[in-house]
Amino acid sequence: MVKSWIDAQPKAGWLLVCLFWAPALFAGGPWTQPKGKGYFKLSEYWIVYDEHFTDAGLTDPNVTTGIFNTTLYAEYGIVDRWTATLNFPFLSRNYVNNVVSASTGEVLIPGEALNSIGDTDLGIKYGLNKPGSRTPMALSLVLGLPIGNPSAGTQGNLQTGDGEFNQLLQFDIGRSFNVGKKSSGYAAAFAGFNHRTNGFSEEIRVGVESGVAVLDRDLWFILRLANWESLKNGQTAETITSTSIFANNQEFTSFTVEAAYYIKGGFGVSAAVGGALRAEIVAAAPSFNVGVFYDMNH
Amino acid sequence: MKYLLFLSLTAVLAAGCIGDDVIQDAVDPELRITNPLDSLGLGSSHQFDAQYFNGVGQPEPAVTTWSSSDPAVVSITEEGLATALQEGGVTLTAVAVTPEGSINTALALGVGTTTVAPTSFRTGVIRTTSSYLLEGDFELHDIGGGNLELRIADDYAASTSLPGLYVYLTNNPGISVGALEIGRVTDFSGAHTYTIAGAGLQDYAFVLYYCKPFNVKVGDGEIMD
Repeated sequence: MVKSWIDAQPKAGWLLVCLFWAPALFAGGPWTQPKGKGYFKLSEYWIVYDEHFTDAGLTDPNVTTGIFNTTLYAEYGIVDRWTATLNFPFLSRNYVNNVVSASTGEVLIPGEALNSIGDTDLGIKYGLNKPGSRTPMALSLVLGLPIGNPSAGTQGNLQTGDGEFNQLLQFDIGRSFNVGKKSSGYAAAFAGFNHRTNGFSEEIRVGVESGVAVLDRDLWFILRLANWESLKNGQTAETITSTSIFANNQEFTSFTVEAAYYIKGGFGVSAAVGGALRAEIVAAAPSFNVGVFYDMNH
Repeated sequence: MKYLLFLSLTAVLAAGCIGDDVIQDAVDPELRITNPLDSLGLGSSHQFDAQYFNGVGQPEPAVTTWSSSDPAVVSITEEGLATALQEGGVTLTAVAVTPEGSINTALALGVGTTTVAPTSFRTGVIRTTSSYLLEGDFELHDIGGGNLELRIADDYAASTSLPGLYVYLTNNPGISVGALEIGRVTDFSGAHTYTIAGAGLQDYAFVLYYCKPFNVKVGDGEIMD
């Protein structure tokens, strides 16, 4: 089975409603956990940006904003072919800088910060074919629970959640292969549909990824490409009267490069960097992720 | 490895602290006559007022002294009380002493049979200063009683992507701080009107569109005479 840490990507979760969202792919992958086995990861995701992609796809400046998520990700095989997933940002921090006058040195707009839990994903993945299949396929249902804070701060522009309930249905397909006797790799693709509540537009998500393992399959290099398209069928600033933060219709094509290393047994560390190749209404800066993981299958 | 983890954690925590974004908010200081006239009726008097706006566009008190290019046509006291004495034309000059030095402004004033005030409205063109759509013409009308009306023309259009887009009157188009907040934008195309209480026609130099939640300037329009 392909190493399951490929599934432990930081899910953007609440960031999806943040105007300056940081693209990051949650590529579930078609590989399910065997019964009683699991994969667990503790990671730190962050992005600090002073530019964003506008609705015209161009970049404009904004007050420097930071988003930090400390996340527990877990996969566990309930029974063979059925895997439960959890993505829980138990500490989410969002801050904006002070705006200071160059002329007077006066703080014109004080910076603010919010620390809270973030929106959390609960999912179930079902393997459509038998474990060990050469071309595994899986169907996942992921529920994004809006338990974060969707609006805080003087301007309501700090948030650790979007206040809406995601329902993502996703199909995954993949294939693993050997590269010589001590190396292996995989390729996978997914397509999903995300239904969203509270006036948010639905999304179609597609992506591909590939990984190669070296050093006796202890060191993995992974490249991911993802594309999220908004159906733009939700509300806009024109159709809502709320003054709370509300950024909708975000789109992007993103890449993520990751390296992960099994230090001893199933324990390992990983590091990833990602960014957007094109986007609308999301952050224009690289995002980073570092983590430690435990893979019961290794 | 543990040192690497420690350094990484320290770097992440440091990056998570609120820092400073320095914004270039300087504008040219200005001394503005707030109740100008086109002409002053023969034998009539008018108290002129001027307001000093500092290098960030904020009003500041300043001692202002007035003078006339031809006191035989229009006399004026140092405090700005002008009287039309004979037909003709003059240039009135106001000089303000500020902490940064002196600044002056001038007004061409004719003397006629009646006193004529400028038109009761000013105009301008809204333009985007971002890559968000924002365009259209506007007129700023004095509707009396210390109230203004900002009339946005039919050719107006604005992006609906930004939450919390607000419109302001300001003397510093770079920042919303210190500006007069008119209200949240709820019209994104076509003609519409805002009523503004407690403001004079000459009190502000720009219309400003600003996304308040994200501290992003979207566009502005200079208010022209």
